[in-house]
Amino acid sequence: MSDMREEMIRTLDRVVEDILTPAEREKADGGGTSDKLWAALVEQGFTAIGEADGEIGFADTMALVQRSGYHAVPVPLGETIMARRLLARAGIALPDGAVTLVPPAAAGAPAAKHASVPFGRACTHAVVAAGPELQLLAIDGAVSNEGINQAGEARDDIDVSKTTVVAKAQFPNAARTLQLEGALLRTVQLSGALERTLEHCMTWVNDRVQFGRPIARFQAMQHAMAVMASEVAAANAATDMAVEKSIGSADWFAVAVAKSRAGEAAGRVANGAHAAFGAMGFTREHQLHYATRRLWSWRDDFGSEVVWQTEIGRALAGAGGRGLWRELTAQGRPAGVAHPTFVRCWPEPICPADRLRPFYNSCICRRLRTFSSSRLAIGRSVTFMTLGSSNGDQQKI
Amino acid sequence: MSRFVYAPVEMPPEAVKLRAQVRAFCEEERAAGRFEPAVGSMVAADEAFSAKLGERGWLGMTWPKQYGGHERSALERYVVVEELLAAGAPVMAHWIADRQSGPQILRHGSERAKNEILPRVAAGKCYFAIGMSEPDTGSDLASVKSRAHKVDGGWSLTGRKVWTSYAHRAHYLIALVRTSGTADQRHVGLTQFIVDLKAPGVTVRPIYNLYGGHDFNEVTFDDVFVPEDMIVAGEGRGWEMVTAELAFERSGPDRFMSTFPLLCETFDAVGEAPTDTQAAELGRLVANLATLRRMSSSIAGMLQAGLNPATEAALVKDLGTGLEQEIPEVARRILPSATRAGMPNDRYTALLHESQMQCVSYSIRGGTREILRGMIARGLGLR
Repeated sequence: MSDMREEMIRTLDRVVEDILTPAEREKADGGGTSDKLWAALVEQGFTAIGEADGEIGFADTMALVQRSGYHAVPVPLGETIMARRLLARAGIALPDGAVTLVPPAAAGAPAAKHASVPFGRACTHAVVAAGPELQLLAIDGAVSNEGINQAGEARDDIDVSKTTVVAKAQFPNAARTLQLEGALLRTVQLSGALERTLEHCMTWVNDRVQFGRPIARFQAMQHAMAVMASEVAAANAATDMAVEKSIGSADWFAVAVAKSRAGEAAGRVANGAHAAFGAMGFTREHQLHYATRRLWSWRDDFGSEVVWQTEIGRALAGAGGRGLWRELTAQGRPAGVAHPTFVRCWPEPICPADRLRPFYNSCICRRLRTFSSSRLAIGRSVTFMTLGSSNGDQQKI
Repeated sequence: MSRFVYAPVEMPPEAVKLRAQVRAFCEEERAAGRFEPAVGSMVAADEAFSAKLGERGWLGMTWPKQYGGHERSALERYVVVEELLAAGAPVMAHWIADRQSGPQILRHGSERAKNEILPRVAAGKCYFAIGMSEPDTGSDLASVKSRAHKVDGGWSLTGRKVWTSYAHRAHYLIALVRTSGTADQRHVGLTQFIVDLKAPGVTVRPIYNLYGGHDFNEVTFDDVFVPEDMIVAGEGRGWEMVTAELAFERSGPDRFMSTFPLLCETFDAVGEAPTDTQAAELGRLVANLATLRRMSSSIAGMLQAGLNPATEAALVKDLGTGLEQEIPEVARRILPSATRAGMPNDRYTALLHESQMQCVSYSIRGGTREILRGMIARGLGLR
């Protein structure tokens, strides 16, 4: 662990311990935030991380976000850090204060409202994907409907007519990128909340005495804990991998794998924890629910497991069994394409259904070979159009 | 902190080249009709194939050249093993020797054992079986009843081992036997011996498995002489040896890739245009597989660094065999046989049935789920 990382985590631990008393947590739960905590994080400089040329590396930054997930902080720290990373990449000047991410709508059509924006009411700004652009919106006073998720975190609707575009920049695959960065953020937070849940359990099973001994002494409980620890380890491994591969920008396959794996672990570990705690863990008073309700909420954000699993399955289906192994063992990504590009064959479709599907550049070549034998005459040129830009990429088969 | 960490490993550039070479070799062999991809390729043996791997320097890869090895890294070995399993190649003949018996002899064997045995293992011409379980000894390994007593120049072995995969063709078996004390003394008084399976007094009888396959055997020792220098590590160190051996046995890709050929076949059968359900189910398996590859390669890195990641390995095996067993379940759910009427004897169905019948053994061999979870719980400080 780097010195920087250790120092940041120690600082966050201390700030949380000082400020987030049970009463402060309870006050923030239900759509609020802890203003005292936010002020302390501002003072530590944690809300100003995310400059493109900043001193703190991405892995260290994500370690801080992971720890904030561990502590279930009731403030938009992760959102702000991710939003700043996107804005820096787009070359947009970074605003002060809390910035949130507008989850891309399923349909690309311009909407009258942005639905379920995380911590909308607590943020002055929001990053939104608008067609080929990434935009920074001022959202003060634009919340039209206040809502909460299962964890009692604010999820607010924003009236687009009450927002103003502060800055904008052309950004390739803006909506897709926002979706991936958001998924990566929640994955990292899930990994932290999973660890916290497991730690709650470890303490509990060692302390709780039934039938004359700590319940940790019972083999059934030991095995239940082993299964949960395995789930946490797998989620962490997948999350670490996603972070490592997303240094410059989110790597879709690694993020899809990690969000899916961490989401699966979230359900199992939350269940296992509540089983271990019995009625005690089902109370408002016990702190366990701050972690488990976030597990249930975050696994749904920016694409649930099944969304990402479907995407993985679709992206790999065309290449068959051999393509599957080739893809799994691919070394790195082609330069310049760190996220999938939606490609379309032109002038005529190569895919049987002319579907738009995410592929790496390398996969395009593979598909060309696959289809060249059956559907296309060898030696023809096909142009790939990247949606959202007019650059055609000529490739001869 | 109750955290098991699976740190990233940097694959050396040579590993990338090596991967391509092994893949090309397997494709060539397959194209020439020399093997058909099989599930649990650990049960498909082809000694000629093993010898070819030996010729190419893909066995005993990490061992010193002095003993026929190639002084390559554990990560390069990891890549070779993964490619062989992904191809569904017939690797059973040399598997145990290359994976655990060889490394065990290299670390703890006598000079004679190393010189006589290791070069032949690295050449793909000498095979091993594992002699741990007995009729009354399964998970409770310390209760072994096979015994050895001192005789002139060595030891005399008597007893019985079961579930000894490939003993009917293997040259040697490493047997865990009691050399002193009683079963009550548990881990004390156990010793590992390298037993020549052609030695007088050794009888090998087949035990057919539930689908009629011949993989494992019963091996009986009746006053079998074992020379002194065929002891592993030393008298009384058997328990320690078994424990060390299991880290090699449990962490590799063979603990999550046994039914990978069925997954490939399922992708092929589903084809270009999966339904949402098919895509999601397949995607879930791929996400789990990608995660396990990360964890297992990380353990290869730990072994390379000289660590003993026994608990991390137990965790990978528990999760990995779970995935292996889930693949046939998912396959039959997303490709119900009704939709494939009229093709009852296709490759897909054959692989599915093989997987189904075989995969129940995956969470038994090499340590049952319950044993593994007990180890993980110990790692968590709960025992």
